[in-house]
Amino acid sequence: MSASYVAVGWNRQKKIYDWLIAGFCFTYLLLFISVTLIVNEQVTFETLLIRSTSTLAVLLLHVILAIGPLCRLDKKFLPLLYNRRHLGVTMFTFALAHGGFSIFQFHALGNTNPFVSLFISNTNFNSFAAFPFQALGFFALLIFFLMAITSHDFWLHNLSPRVWKTLHMFVYLAYLLVVMHVMLGVIQYENNPVFVIIILAGAVTLITLHLLAGSKERKLDKRKFSLEQEGFMYVCPAEEIEDSRAKIFCIDKERIAVYRHENKLYAIHNVCKHQGGPLGEGKILDGCITCPWHGYQYLPHNGQSPPPFKEKVSTYDVKIIDGKVWLNPVPFPEGTERPGATIK
Amino acid sequence: MIFITTILIIMALYLLAGLVFAIPFVIKGVAVIDEGARGSSWGFRLIIIPGVTVFWPVLLNKWLHASKIKRS
Repeated sequence: MSASYVAVGWNRQKKIYDWLIAGFCFTYLLLFISVTLIVNEQVTFETLLIRSTSTLAVLLLHVILAIGPLCRLDKKFLPLLYNRRHLGVTMFTFALAHGGFSIFQFHALGNTNPFVSLFISNTNFNSFAAFPFQALGFFALLIFFLMAITSHDFWLHNLSPRVWKTLHMFVYLAYLLVVMHVMLGVIQYENNPVFVIIILAGAVTLITLHLLAGSKERKLDKRKFSLEQEGFMYVCPAEEIEDSRAKIFCIDKERIAVYRHENKLYAIHNVCKHQGGPLGEGKILDGCITCPWHGYQYLPHNGQSPPPFKEKVSTYDVKIIDGKVWLNPVPFPEGTERPGATIK
Repeated sequence: MIFITTILIIMALYLLAGLVFAIPFVIKGVAVIDEGARGSSWGFRLIIIPGVTVFWPVLLNKWLHASKIKRS
């Protein structure tokens, strides 16, 4: 990005999204505390805080991890992806509250430094059932912290998209740590297996969604294009591409989006420069190809973001012969203007 | 216990150095390494402080590199 950064890039949609997150969290906490007080009158205030914030954070984490595959399975879920970072920071805030209250409650009231106490109070590393589950939660929280503090686009730009993406993929390791943290915690402190059942159901749901989404994308990538003419491959009939929309084709392991705009076809690289979003799953808004993930825009004829932004993607040659779309998979340098192909 | 205490002290010193670095960085350095930060709000500069405190060696390297290019 080249326009000046702001602390939080709020717009109307993001404000609505954030109000919905706040409303959901408030309602959840209210319901959790009310139900717990009805079921267990002896529950302490500290326990209520620790449990309500932890269950809410775990629930939000499941929603966050489900959004990606759900969007790949059905475009209707894309609005959830638009502001997922705010959902992530909200989840971290509740996880931090849980961690903070827990460290205070269980480790801060003695003579030992609470962080030292966290690691030395249970050293049963060779026992599965008695394993120090609190340390697992601490490391998960550390990963969420690193993700939350790098959630601004400034970090994406300055750590490089590859490093940023790698760092944020650690969410899956954090999730595994959270699952173990909850399961071992319940085994060591609870008789009721309901939390174990809920977290296992959540894990199975997430694994299934990821497998389904992966299988859908594999089918798209495995399609073979056999007809070739002077470097151009036949991809589809022209009428299959709707106006202001695209079709994605994977040729030589590169995904290319062929867009239809004002009765012409244009081809650009499918990967958004921002966070690798699938440009071909977006649409044309105000004359620009708009990424469905965070709204980054590119001009169809040259793959350049409109000024003052400076992102560029590769462009490709496309032609139409007898109503059939032919695509040349050799990319032009990022931001190269191409004439497109007129639909007759 | 000594091992964990030592690790925690090293981490605390590292973060303290990052916090000290963060002050001149958000005032001046951020605009040197990233043109998107020129004319940016104070809200933005405050919001990146936790990240600067952790990733300060990367940013220091970028700042030194950018200053070197500017001088030559």
